[in-house]
Amino acid sequence: MKAGAALLWAVVLISALAQVGVVHGHRTLLQEWQQEDALRVQLLQEHTRLLLEKSTLTAHGRVDQQARKQLNMTEPGKVQVLSQ
Amino acid sequence: MNAQPNQQTTLSGITRWRFTLVLAVFGCLLGAVLVRLVMLHTVDQPFLFEQGEKRTVREEVQPAMRGMITDRYGKPLAVSTPVVTLWLNPQQVNVQQLPAVAADLGLSRKELTRKVERAATQGRSFLYLKRQVQPELAQQVLKRRIAGIYGDDDFRRFYPAAEITAHTVGIVDIDGKGQEGLELAFDDFLQGSEGSRQVVKDLYGNVIKQLKVNAVPQPGGDLALTLDLRLQYLAYRELKAAVSQHHAKSGSAVLVDARSGDVLALVNQPSYNPNNRASLRAENMRNRAIADLIEPGSTIKPFTVAAALSSGRYFPSSEINTAPGFVRVKNKTIRDHRNYGVLDITGVITKSSNVGVTFLAHQLGAENIWDFFSKAGIGQATVLGFPGEAVGSLPYPEQMDALRLATVSYGYGLSVSPLQLAHAYTSFTQGGCRNPVRLLMNNQPQTKCQRVMPEKVARQVLDMLETVTSKQGTGSRARVAGYRVGGKTGTAHKVGQQGYEDSEYTAVFSGIAPISSPDLVLVVVIDSPQGKEYYGGEVAAPVFSRIMQQALRLRQVAPDDGSVPTLQMAGGPA
Repeated sequence: MKAGAALLWAVVLISALAQVGVVHGHRTLLQEWQQEDALRVQLLQEHTRLLLEKSTLTAHGRVDQQARKQLNMTEPGKVQVLSQ
Repeated sequence: MNAQPNQQTTLSGITRWRFTLVLAVFGCLLGAVLVRLVMLHTVDQPFLFEQGEKRTVREEVQPAMRGMITDRYGKPLAVSTPVVTLWLNPQQVNVQQLPAVAADLGLSRKELTRKVERAATQGRSFLYLKRQVQPELAQQVLKRRIAGIYGDDDFRRFYPAAEITAHTVGIVDIDGKGQEGLELAFDDFLQGSEGSRQVVKDLYGNVIKQLKVNAVPQPGGDLALTLDLRLQYLAYRELKAAVSQHHAKSGSAVLVDARSGDVLALVNQPSYNPNNRASLRAENMRNRAIADLIEPGSTIKPFTVAAALSSGRYFPSSEINTAPGFVRVKNKTIRDHRNYGVLDITGVITKSSNVGVTFLAHQLGAENIWDFFSKAGIGQATVLGFPGEAVGSLPYPEQMDALRLATVSYGYGLSVSPLQLAHAYTSFTQGGCRNPVRLLMNNQPQTKCQRVMPEKVARQVLDMLETVTSKQGTGSRARVAGYRVGGKTGTAHKVGQQGYEDSEYTAVFSGIAPISSPDLVLVVVIDSPQGKEYYGGEVAAPVFSRIMQQALRLRQVAPDDGSVPTLQMAGGPA
């Protein structure tokens, strides 16, 4: 009788401690996940920013202008076609 | 031991009832507390539980990232980027702390304080502080840890190509819902599905506990267009220059891949910048190349001629007498520019003879003309799934009397969109068998084409179209150095309130290059050019030439007019 009660007490205590542990674990994981998610959003934002930057820098109009003004390039005058 | 009776007597005296009284009072208090506890746990429990949940548990919506729109090579045309929408609860926020926030966000201090105070007195608990803020700036505000100020994840749409692709790509509103163009047509596909979860939050809006996940956010699908951004850019630049040079009201250009029917460029003037909502004007937002109908004028003549050739009764060398340069049909006189005398069929196209095509149309009859035109796609929807796509109109054979038939044969009394016209011209380039036009790479190209005319006739018409850009032709200014180019000019009087206007025109050029092995079909429409030049051959043809020249070079199409020396590559097959 006495042994049974002691066992029950032990079970209650262990499960109570386990409950505390699990809640703590949940919060830690949640926090970790939130940090990772924030990082994901941050990377996503950087990715789109770079994408936009790249498309601005490689815009046809800009490349055209730079080729003409800075590199003094023109359309080819004398064209020759190579055929196989 | 004998002290006990003494105590007994003192207890049974005043002290006893005092003791009982104190005990009873405490008993009552305990009872009251017990009753209250029972009340809270049973009667008030649902109410209290609900209120508690309301204050801490939040149903949080997680926005889905909208899909990207790209050109055929994956260059971005519309991209969503994460931003933060800041809002506040006027009930919780301390007005003393607002000026610092206003300074961070560049808002007016006075106005913000006034707005928050008014909202607080009205009992509101939600007020946008600023929408779609850059994440760094939002973090700066949120780091102040002011109670009652919250930040929600949100997305903002950017259009890197701005006005160059504005009409086709379209625009979304501030809530990320499609408003125009493909953003509207494919809204469901692009937007994905929002996620939602139940969380416990503290006063600062930090998530402490996640209770339940109802849905995980699913990002939207990406849309790849058949447009080529480089061609789109140069078509836009040339069109814009021409529209401003001729002080025209508007203009459109449609460039279509002659082999596959892919739309490579689709530009309109005037345009708008979709990144700046403040400057939007409805009349600039219409996609004229798809949504506006024009009377195509003489650009339709090749179809009348092709119908005649397909009937087997005529050949390119068949002769027609167009003298004296005009013909009376019912009580209207149809005129040519001057008396061209006897012309062969090729000459009818070269000189753009109204009398010639009228004769051909009358010989063929309304039934044949209608049949041929509708097979070529004139007055038939292009079915791109674009909002506001125009269908066009072609009168039925029974609606065509002799006069109507004559006008249809040279492009009046029927209407097409510039895209339809370009599509119809692909009949000539695809060996007489027309593929549907395609604007989305996601759509698989259809393998079954619509037979419009025999392959031989398509070739003959191509050769005729080339004569238009010869020195004697009406479209000599459409020529491109190094390439054989064909096309047809068109100048249509615009319809005003009292029938056709005398001095308002639509200048059109519709052409194909290179003729030996067609690669591109381009239609240029300039609406209401002002000034001395208004003919299709004067206004639209030079634009055609400039766009075509650059487009052919970009696509590395080999020159085919024989003026360019061709070298045999060493080691190639003999």
